Amino acid sequence: MDDQLGSPKLFRRPRKAVQQRSRICVIASVSGLLMASCVLYLIISLVSARDIFRYSPTFDSSNAIDTQFYDLKDYVGHADGWARGERVLFCVPLRDAASHLPMFFGHMRNMTYPHNLIDLAFLVSDSSDDTMGVLEKNLLEIQSDPNPEMHFGQIEIFQKDFGQIIGQGFSDRHGFAAQGPRRKMMARARNWLSSAALKPYHSWVYWRDVDVETISPTIIEDLMHHDRDVIVPNVWRPLPEWLGNQQPYDLNSWQESDGGLQLANTLDEDAVIVEGYVEYATWRPHLAYLRDPYGDPETEMVLDGIGGVSILSKARVFRSGAHFPAFSFEKHAETEGFGKMCKRMGFAVVGLPHYVIWHIYEPSNDDLKHMEWMAQEEVRQQREESMQKVYERVYGAGFLDVEDEWKEEKPLILRNTDSSRGARKIQVDWDDVDTFGDDLNGQGLADFDPAL
Amino acid sequence: MFVHKPLRLVVPLLALIGFLWLIFGSSHETKPNSPYKYKKIKKNDVIPRNLPADHISHYDLNKLSSTPMAAYNKERVLILTPMAKFLDQYWDNLLKLTYPRELIELGFIVPRTADGDAALRKLGTAVKKIQNPKNTKDAKFAKVTILRQDTEALDSQSEKDRHAFKVQKQRRSQMAVARNSLLFTTIGPYTSWVLWLDGDIVETPPTLIQDLVSHDKPVIAANCYQRYYDEEKKEDAIRPYDFNNWVESEEGLRIASTMSDDEIIVEAYAELATYRPLMGHFYDPNGDVNTEMQLDGVGGTCLLVKADVHRDGAMFPSFPFYHLIETEGFAKMAKRLGYEVFGLPNYLVYHYNE
Repeated sequence: MDDQLGSPKLFRRPRKAVQQRSRICVIASVSGLLMASCVLYLIISLVSARDIFRYSPTFDSSNAIDTQFYDLKDYVGHADGWARGERVLFCVPLRDAASHLPMFFGHMRNMTYPHNLIDLAFLVSDSSDDTMGVLEKNLLEIQSDPNPEMHFGQIEIFQKDFGQIIGQGFSDRHGFAAQGPRRKMMARARNWLSSAALKPYHSWVYWRDVDVETISPTIIEDLMHHDRDVIVPNVWRPLPEWLGNQQPYDLNSWQESDGGLQLANTLDEDAVIVEGYVEYATWRPHLAYLRDPYGDPETEMVLDGIGGVSILSKARVFRSGAHFPAFSFEKHAETEGFGKMCKRMGFAVVGLPHYVIWHIYEPSNDDLKHMEWMAQEEVRQQREESMQKVYERVYGAGFLDVEDEWKEEKPLILRNTDSSRGARKIQVDWDDVDTFGDDLNGQGLADFDPAL
Repeated sequence: MFVHKPLRLVVPLLALIGFLWLIFGSSHETKPNSPYKYKKIKKNDVIPRNLPADHISHYDLNKLSSTPMAAYNKERVLILTPMAKFLDQYWDNLLKLTYPRELIELGFIVPRTADGDAALRKLGTAVKKIQNPKNTKDAKFAKVTILRQDTEALDSQSEKDRHAFKVQKQRRSQMAVARNSLLFTTIGPYTSWVLWLDGDIVETPPTLIQDLVSHDKPVIAANCYQRYYDEEKKEDAIRPYDFNNWVESEEGLRIASTMSDDEIIVEAYAELATYRPLMGHFYDPNGDVNTEMQLDGVGGTCLLVKADVHRDGAMFPSFPFYHLIETEGFAKMAKRLGYEVFGLPNYLVYHYNE
């Protein structure tokens, strides 16, 4: 019995040992796993940051005044720059822009990229309105906002007049002949701005025009997460209903075509090809026209020329020397030339065909004329309508309506004159028609001899 | 076994997850109008130094000037040096310059190599000596910026390798990027002049800046020579060193017209005889030191540029620009922007002899 009772005990003892052993196994394997992951993590971090062995001097006010060291590799720019604390240089060229600034600062307030990581740089040039005053007022307002998250990093305002050569009306600016010199001038302004404002610690440079009406507050993140050297969204503009509601705006973003290259070869060294004018037909695929309102906003398209309404680029691009050519570079200038130069330097230049921002609508001279005509036409129609009412009243009072009477009398009066109602049948006998001339017996009239 | 006692599996797993979370995880926050995750903002995260209270500063670039009376007009000069090796003679010569130091900003860029680290160490020590607040004896430079390149440089830097024709294009392309990185991050709203001075220029007249500025040219290059010991004549002698200062020749243009877009012409190689008149050969020991000559290509060893030229966009092309690259391409680009380029054949500066 004892043996029988004891047998399960005997049987149980080795099981406990097995359990103990298995527990040891579990602990060992788990701790092994932990160790392995630790080692792996260390190896990965060491390999990715080989540079920990690099020597970096430290300068501060105790050992060297006004001295700074930067390792440019710390500022190359990543897809998730906002989470890494990467600084963005936000460049805005301004000229006679006072009326657009309040709208612009509305967008700035809403922007989700951490404001303290954004350094603003403005270039005010050749302005006849109070651009500077409005700019300062808006900046002070946002920098003294009670919410510290509204405050931007460094803000630099530069002033430089280049001597304006052309008017600023829509048609002045967008006329064909004005394009070359105008683009070169704007290129100079952009270069002055970025060269004076770019610091070693900037990872990204964002170019933005003030006259953008509708734009996502996440615009910088939306462009940045593509991790491209240079990237632009699609730019459209809303239109009045009578012009079809909306229209592609920025035609400077395009892919090079054979037609464009052929055209470039025929032009002289200083010529500047500008897109969107019949004078230069290049047959290039434009970013703007490839938009599908239901398309995937992440879709990318490789570009050669770009527009300047909203450009996000890695600061490395500008550090390497890419800029807005103020001369004819491969037959292009300013932003289009910038795109060409970036390509030449081996940078990736892309556009987002289905991700759209909306430029404000500025009517052209023709549009303005048409709008004036439409306004006059509206007034004319209103006047005509009220005149019509008066006429109707006058007619009602002064004339007797005899229409019903006439309807009754008309058939009676016209009974004898209306031929369609008569029963007379006219018969025409056509039999003789074909025998005309038979009696000449084959002698035509031309055979008649007056001498006989 | 794990089926019966799931805790045994779950507890270490949780521990593992917790451990990994400690390593990789970090605190994130979201914003109502954004699908992205943001890092919690720590105070004083990476805010630039010396900001005014509202962070706003004004600069009127219309008032900026570059005149022959630079020192009198308190014009700021930015001296830029790409530095692969720190030479004591270079530094000593730099300190001998008589232009007011409070009007001089310095910019250096070192390559991402062991050599670069060595140069950085020495440079840092030298800078700390001058800029030290306890050093009341020496005048301080207005600003010193030292950068390290973000890309790895070509390794071999010995004189023979450096000048081999085949590696020239790649080497000079990297050099161009280094120069541009240095230039465009240090040129500021105060800068009136940019002096490019190579790290191996060991001897210049102490009035170098005043002398070059007095010519009032958009771009002007000094003639770079090298001192050596002439074994035949048994005496110290000098010979031309920088052959990138030249005037375009018909042969040069002809060769360029036969090349494809991606090819470059580099001067002073037997493989490509351009017959360009080189400024190095125009030195006349008895001539007027102020003699100017118009150039089409320049070297970067000792080159003074009005800051406006760089601001307008003239940079050092890292790609073949009219079949020219780096400093020679820079001269071409400055000309395309409407600026004239000059050299001083009788004004010598000396290159280190390795």
